[in-house]
Amino acid sequence: MIMAIPTITPLAGKPPIAMADPDAGPSADPVDILPLLAWLSPAFPVGAYAYSHALEWAVEAGDIRTEADLAGWLEDLLLHGLGRNDGILFAQAMAAAGAGDGARLIEVNALAVALAPSAELWLETCQQGRSFLDAVCAAWPAPALLAQAGLLKGEVAYPVAVGLAAASHGVPPQLALEAFLLAMMQNLVSAAIRLAPIGQTAGTRVVAALAPKVRALAADIRTLTLDDLGSATFRADLGSLRHETQYTRLFRS
Amino acid sequence: MGMTSAASWRSEDLPPVLMKSAPKRQRSVGRLRIAAAGAGGRTHLLELEEQGALRGRLPRSDGGDMEAVIVNTSGGVACGDTFSIEIEARGGARLTVCTPAAEKVYRSDADEASIHVRLAAGHGAALHWLPQETILFDQARLVRRYEVDLAPVSHFLAFEALVLGRAARGEIMSGGQLTDQWRVRRGGGLIYADALRLSGPIGALLAKPAIANGRHALATLLYVAPDAEARLDDVRAALEPCASECGASAWNGLLVVRWLAADIEMLRRDATSFLMNFRGAPMPRVWAS
Repeated sequence: MIMAIPTITPLAGKPPIAMADPDAGPSADPVDILPLLAWLSPAFPVGAYAYSHALEWAVEAGDIRTEADLAGWLEDLLLHGLGRNDGILFAQAMAAAGAGDGARLIEVNALAVALAPSAELWLETCQQGRSFLDAVCAAWPAPALLAQAGLLKGEVAYPVAVGLAAASHGVPPQLALEAFLLAMMQNLVSAAIRLAPIGQTAGTRVVAALAPKVRALAADIRTLTLDDLGSATFRADLGSLRHETQYTRLFRS
Repeated sequence: MGMTSAASWRSEDLPPVLMKSAPKRQRSVGRLRIAAAGAGGRTHLLELEEQGALRGRLPRSDGGDMEAVIVNTSGGVACGDTFSIEIEARGGARLTVCTPAAEKVYRSDADEASIHVRLAAGHGAALHWLPQETILFDQARLVRRYEVDLAPVSHFLAFEALVLGRAARGEIMSGGQLTDQWRVRRGGGLIYADALRLSGPIGALLAKPAIANGRHALATLLYVAPDAEARLDDVRAALEPCASECGASAWNGLLVVRWLAADIEMLRRDATSFLMNFRGAPMPRVWAS
């Protein structure tokens, strides 16, 4: 039986992917997703563990005490706030970078940075974005990545940095977007486990329950543009303002 | 299938259910442009252009400050209405813009109402955008876009309050749409963007803790000025007496305050006492109602 092999269009300046590797087994796949797994791992040096996107405030305020509270809060962040917005920005950055449209990439990044609703959420996206881009350029240099990373001087928003890297390395856009969104949720679950009386098993269940919602959102985002950006999570954003003066803080956001 | 009314709409533009209920109401269109400049410590009017339902009123000004009141003569905002407002405070001008009452956005059967606001402050100008609250009725559909262009050295203050559903009637928004898009540029570069988007069962969304925790009066203040970050501690102290859930943050030469309140009375009490303290001036006289 012949499996359909996903193909990608080689980017300008990127060497074509070798199709005939004598050492490859019968399931050889020209799409290499291992870099994506490394980039989105908690061990990747962007300091994701230091940010809670105001979950620390929500726990302090008594809004997140149980597994159900956490699942509800994260679903709202995913569908009505951070997830949807950063997903649109990720997809738009990936499309701009894939098309080699530097001006568009700069525009998406400027908007992504400007959309931060507080000093701490600005730091959350800009510090991780810059750390990510520098680390990927150092370890996974590709001509398309280095050329476009050079256009993003100053602040880089995290979804734009990851989108640029994924496009430059030919990761399929939908897979990249789904993985990016699930990693975002998993990082927040990890923060919540450290903050609230919610155990590892409960946290894992929350991630598993969010996965199909991530896939559905990623499918929706395919049809959305920068004009569709918008968040309803007013109180979560307000929480990030209040977190700045919270008495006890483990997290930078 | 024959055409109903609304000759300007082609039948293929509308689903059948809307064709039957296509509103006969005349859509309201309004445009207002005000430009002022500062000279010799005073602010004087350069341009006042009015079209359609929007009027600009200029009550007496105190000292060097000018106050402009935007009046919507159509008595609210309904489906398909289109309003465009341009306010320009050129070099050295000190201009405060407000509205005489809360703006009501009525139920819409089909089209969104659209409000486009362009605000500009030149070198050394101070522009304060202080409209009274906007009240969305159930099934209201409103899209607002704010574009702000600031000189590198200028003072800009914007305060916008929203009430989602007529609380006095116990109204919950079972449906509707609100999109508020802010884009703020300083010296041509984008420094702040905000995109509030509530769509569908807004009342049910507001009940969620990450969205509004059951409250339905909210407000955002944005201040962009050379002293924005330096004022953060004083701003936090001034927010302490507030009964609303509120907070402040400052970065990159801008300051943001948000309030979330159970009702508009609480929000107005908190926000007006804060604004008087922050601006060191009484509220515009039209606010006292």
